[in-house]
Amino acid sequence: MSSNSLSLRNLAAAVVVGIGVLWASAVQAADTIKVGILHSLSGTMAISETTLKDAMLMLIEEQNKKGGLLGKKLEPVVVDPASNWPLFAEKARELIEKDKVAAVFGCWTSVSRKSVLPVFEELNSILFYPVQYEGEESQRNVFYTGAAPNQQAIPAVDYLMNEEGVKRWVLAGTDYVYPRTTNKILEAYLISKGVPKEDIMINYTPFGHSDWQTIVSDIKKFGSAGKKTAVVSTINGDANVPFYKELGNQGIKAEDIPVVAFSVGEEELAGIDTKPLVGHLAAWNYFQSVDTPENTDFVKKWQAFTKDPKRVSNDPMEAHMIGFNMWVKAVEKAGTTDPDKVIDSIVGIKVPNLSGGMSEMLPNHHITKPVLIGEVQDDGQFEIVWQTDGLVAGDAWSDHLPGSKDLKADWVDLKCGNYNTVTKKCGGKGA
Amino acid sequence: MIVIRRFQLIALALLPLVALVLTPPSAAHADTLDALVQKLASGGFSARAKVVDELAATGDERVSAVLEALQGGDLFTRKSDKRVFITRSAGDELTLVDPISGQQAGTAPKSALKKIRVNNRLRRAIRAALGSLTLLNPDPAKRLAAAEAVFKSRDANALAALDTAIAKETNAGVKRALEEARAAALLYSDAPETEKIRAIAVLQTRGDRDALALLLGLAGAGKDAGAVAEVATSSAAVIERNLAAWNTVQNIIYGVSLGSVLLLAAIGLAITFGVMGVINMAHGEMVMLGAYTTFTVQEIIRLSAPELFDYSLFFALPLAFMIAGAVGIAIERGIIRWLYGRPLETLLATWGLSLILQQAIRSIYGPTNREVGNPSWMAGSLEVGSLTLTYNRLWIIVFSIAVFAVLLLILKHTRFGLQVRAVTQNREMAGSMGIRTGRVDALTFGLGSGIAGIAGVALSQIDNVSPNLGQAYIIDSFMVVVFGGVGNLWGTLVGAMTLGIANKFLEPFTGAVLGKILVLVMIILFIQKRPRGLFALKGRAVEA
Amino acid sequence: MTSVLSRSLNRHALAFLAALAVIAVVVPVLNLAVPETSAFHVPTYAVALIGKYLCFALLAVSIDLIWGYCGILSLGHGAFFALGGYAMGMYLMRQIGDRGVYGDPVLPDFMVFLNWGELPWYWYGFDQFWFACLMVLVVPGLLAFVFGWFAFRSRVTGVYLSIITQALTYALMLAFFRNNMGFGGNNGLTDFKDLLGFDLQSDETRAGLLIASCVALATGFLICRAIVTSRFGKVIVAIRDAESRTRFLGYRVEAYKLFVFTLSACLAGVAGALYVPQVGIINPSEFAPANSIEAVIWVAVGGRGTLVGPAIGAALVNFAKTWLTGSFPEIWLFVLGGLFVVVTLFLPKGIMGLAGTLRGALSRFRLKAGGVAVGEPSTKAAE
Repeated sequence: MSSNSLSLRNLAAAVVVGIGVLWASAVQAADTIKVGILHSLSGTMAISETTLKDAMLMLIEEQNKKGGLLGKKLEPVVVDPASNWPLFAEKARELIEKDKVAAVFGCWTSVSRKSVLPVFEELNSILFYPVQYEGEESQRNVFYTGAAPNQQAIPAVDYLMNEEGVKRWVLAGTDYVYPRTTNKILEAYLISKGVPKEDIMINYTPFGHSDWQTIVSDIKKFGSAGKKTAVVSTINGDANVPFYKELGNQGIKAEDIPVVAFSVGEEELAGIDTKPLVGHLAAWNYFQSVDTPENTDFVKKWQAFTKDPKRVSNDPMEAHMIGFNMWVKAVEKAGTTDPDKVIDSIVGIKVPNLSGGMSEMLPNHHITKPVLIGEVQDDGQFEIVWQTDGLVAGDAWSDHLPGSKDLKADWVDLKCGNYNTVTKKCGGKGA
Repeated sequence: MIVIRRFQLIALALLPLVALVLTPPSAAHADTLDALVQKLASGGFSARAKVVDELAATGDERVSAVLEALQGGDLFTRKSDKRVFITRSAGDELTLVDPISGQQAGTAPKSALKKIRVNNRLRRAIRAALGSLTLLNPDPAKRLAAAEAVFKSRDANALAALDTAIAKETNAGVKRALEEARAAALLYSDAPETEKIRAIAVLQTRGDRDALALLLGLAGAGKDAGAVAEVATSSAAVIERNLAAWNTVQNIIYGVSLGSVLLLAAIGLAITFGVMGVINMAHGEMVMLGAYTTFTVQEIIRLSAPELFDYSLFFALPLAFMIAGAVGIAIERGIIRWLYGRPLETLLATWGLSLILQQAIRSIYGPTNREVGNPSWMAGSLEVGSLTLTYNRLWIIVFSIAVFAVLLLILKHTRFGLQVRAVTQNREMAGSMGIRTGRVDALTFGLGSGIAGIAGVALSQIDNVSPNLGQAYIIDSFMVVVFGGVGNLWGTLVGAMTLGIANKFLEPFTGAVLGKILVLVMIILFIQKRPRGLFALKGRAVEA
Repeated sequence: MTSVLSRSLNRHALAFLAALAVIAVVVPVLNLAVPETSAFHVPTYAVALIGKYLCFALLAVSIDLIWGYCGILSLGHGAFFALGGYAMGMYLMRQIGDRGVYGDPVLPDFMVFLNWGELPWYWYGFDQFWFACLMVLVVPGLLAFVFGWFAFRSRVTGVYLSIITQALTYALMLAFFRNNMGFGGNNGLTDFKDLLGFDLQSDETRAGLLIASCVALATGFLICRAIVTSRFGKVIVAIRDAESRTRFLGYRVEAYKLFVFTLSACLAGVAGALYVPQVGIINPSEFAPANSIEAVIWVAVGGRGTLVGPAIGAALVNFAKTWLTGSFPEIWLFVLGGLFVVVTLFLPKGIMGLAGTLRGALSRFRLKAGGVAVGEPSTKAAE
């Protein structure tokens, strides 16, 4: 009897002790600065995020070749949150509390970012988020190096309106927060430009949607009303391949109904034969085809690092590169990796981006970026057909949404992520 | 203006003659042409579009080669002297061809050249220009394409050329296309009303979406056009009515197409799960293995024998069957055979296997999508009435029915099929009649897995090829098999088609998401009504 | 009452409850009272993790009640877990009040963001804790009752039932993904501030939630024990082993099944409700069929039909996951997948079966060595 209950109690206790031992073993290794990499390596998002993990490893290796940071080597800590959103929060906590990383580079989906936000706030650490997103957020501990809607969606729509003379719009997206918000902003914007409501069609599909027959034929139908029509696509990663295959096969040519996408980059096109898609558009802040010496150098290094001469680079990779270099500079400026000091010193720092400009970290924790519009080529690359003259500043709160047009983020003077310029109060503080 | 154009177009019509008589063309002409071509190297897109128009206006037949090269992205400028060349790739370097004389001008590395960029607007201009330039091309396919291009550009300036072309045309199909193009161009010219109304009639017979677009544009735009707008509106209404009737047909066909995809995904499971009773969670990964086999085969073909690319699927099919089948047999012999009589445990083991297989593929091929190309006979679409039926989906319908028929033949009319049915119905009895039940089990599981593998070959044509491919289909597959009735292949067929068509009829009303939810709820309710699916097996064998 | 208790508590059960009591006391003490520098300090991160494992353990126990004892394999139990979680999440959302980013006193952020004018009716009442707690039980319970009422009356059994439970959770997942549903779409509910006035980010609250999870698990476990050791329990085991025969003996099989199924769903709902404040987010991916299948696997790994085993299985598998995703991010799926295969092949009765086998071997060894008769191993119940 006693032996039995003991063995069971031992078993249960072993779990607890086991966990304890793990923590004990994770005592700080000697003189390195740890950098956390929080990207899914398995599950549905691995398709996109694994590349970013590799990009981070390359950046860290490069920095170490240059002698590290503050005289110490950088040490990457890679974990796998497995495309599971609660696990993102758990892993973020593990990185900060157990591994004591100085900063974390990670997340792709909005929900993963939302999941880790409270953790970074509570434990006061730093997250660099590299993906274009819906905006409507500015948090003290997070730096948004991807595009806000005004750095991607609106310039793209302007391009279609002015250059292609588009009068009728299909806003097609996957049903989640990024497309919802972007389409809300775009709808408000189009209406303000005098587009009548009946000339805007909005359509949402589930994640991983693979049967596009009906929707593509609906688009065709919508496009045959005698006005120039374009599709603005916020369709999420996985669903794009079958979507474009259907477009190509149903013979929708870019000359007739161009599709401009915000979530389709070189990586996504790598899975499709792009010959029938030539001329469809994408709006990003970076393309692999950008013709600058910095970019040629970067792509060369990346292909050498991955030992794959055909490996493509993409926009979120550039965002991570900018974010990483900004962090390095901020740490050097502050002389420490202490998050509070780095958060203060990083604002205003400028680093070169890959399209030949200098991106700057703004007080709202977004950065300045150029907006590029590219057309798909038959080799899976984008030909840049238009770009903004200068850099566009990322806007955390959209001016086109009624709920957020009065809000403003400023972490330098106002020390607030959602300052209401009408009530003159910092909204988040519940005042 | 029109007079001048006419003159040029007469020149264009006479060009073949002129070219015969006067080769080489006059030097002065070549000079201006060359100057124009060289202008393509500089300026923005709109400037380039103007040059394209000017080039088209010269009516010179050599222009079409230049424009085709520009459209295809083969027109480059040499960085050193800004000369424009048509290029062909020759290994790492590009062969340079003079755009006017067509003579080779040596080779150059890519870095010494700069591609002349094209955007959509420019592409449209090129299409229109090429259209009027190639209306008299000896190749009827090119003439047809030219007619379509003019139809889309609605270029009133092309009217004269169209008239010439129609007069000369002998091919009935091309002639009709030319007449439709003429009608389209006419409607956007300043022709008299009666002619326009005749043109509307031509478009009404064409009766597709493009015609509708044209007519609606006319109906909406020209309020002052009076009678023409009126006729256009009523014609558009006729077309719309016709199209609405086609809509039902379209829904059915789309439904059958979705159903055939479901059938393909589920049919292997109908064997491993339906016939053998193994809750095979690794089924989706067998599909994935088939898709990756296709990718590997295509990759090898691309590297070693690109001319065989159109046949890649024929190599991939048997290979996928063998690879997935072999993996299936290995799984059965290694794991599942120890679990007979404990069907729910097979769920656990195969779930573990599916994790392992996914990660193995991720480690070998990387986590990103892989490109599987459509062979040329599967690309593009077939226009039936106002329906666009894409070839890849048509082939998948054919293919899934073929697989189904073959499988049915195997199970009903072969010795092996007899043994399979015997073993699943009464294992002990079959064993005592001298059937090697273990071997039959392994082969049956191999067959189911192999079929999942060839389903993967087909699915690679329409979906992502990524490590997550299998996960996307596993739930739907189980739904189909259970809805149709476990252990009955006909049930799987009817189940797949029903779900596919139901989904496609719901989708236009409810949207894709709600449609899918409703189908799931329908399945749940249906199972309440018929707890053993559509085609329930009768007898004691199913009481396991 | 005491008779029920004494009947329910065998050696396994006592040991299990004791272990839970130890966790409930020791972990918070080591977290709150022992200084961080000490080797015995348990970091907050671990507290949250253990709390999560306990919630999963309760989910596993609830599945074991229906699968292990009544033979109903639900591949959609994650749905009840998630519904309980959503009920709690809605309460926590309402608690945010005007501290959301837009500062709206009533509407949660995601509604402001999508221009919703007012709170949908089904959000009413969730500002009250008692109402949310009630809903944690009622929503999953009601769904299970309605679903079970139809399914069991129509005699949907075996794999058919398993697959339609999967259809149920899949349909719910798709529905909750829809932003029009008013549950925050893909992002779900997050950025919670406090629970009953306690700050969710403080160590004390976490410790409190851990203790609450221990208590919930212990209570759930005791309820299940009480049921399976009663006459009622004998009937459900009979249903598992020979449903038709039990029906012919005059038992109303449907009613029995419906009762345990509904109870099990309520327990899963409670587990979900405790899970949400500890991980800080609830979103539709909790409805994913894969999650439900995984929960069934915990039960199988621990040992089906033992109640203690599934709880241990859930904790162990999830601990393995935590550890492997951190330490071997590239290969952890191989290890976990391999573990599932190995357990099925070599440990058909799971960890509890292994413990029984070991003990059997030990007693045989003792028998040989000392000639002392030891009682027959008590793993019969685990069959």
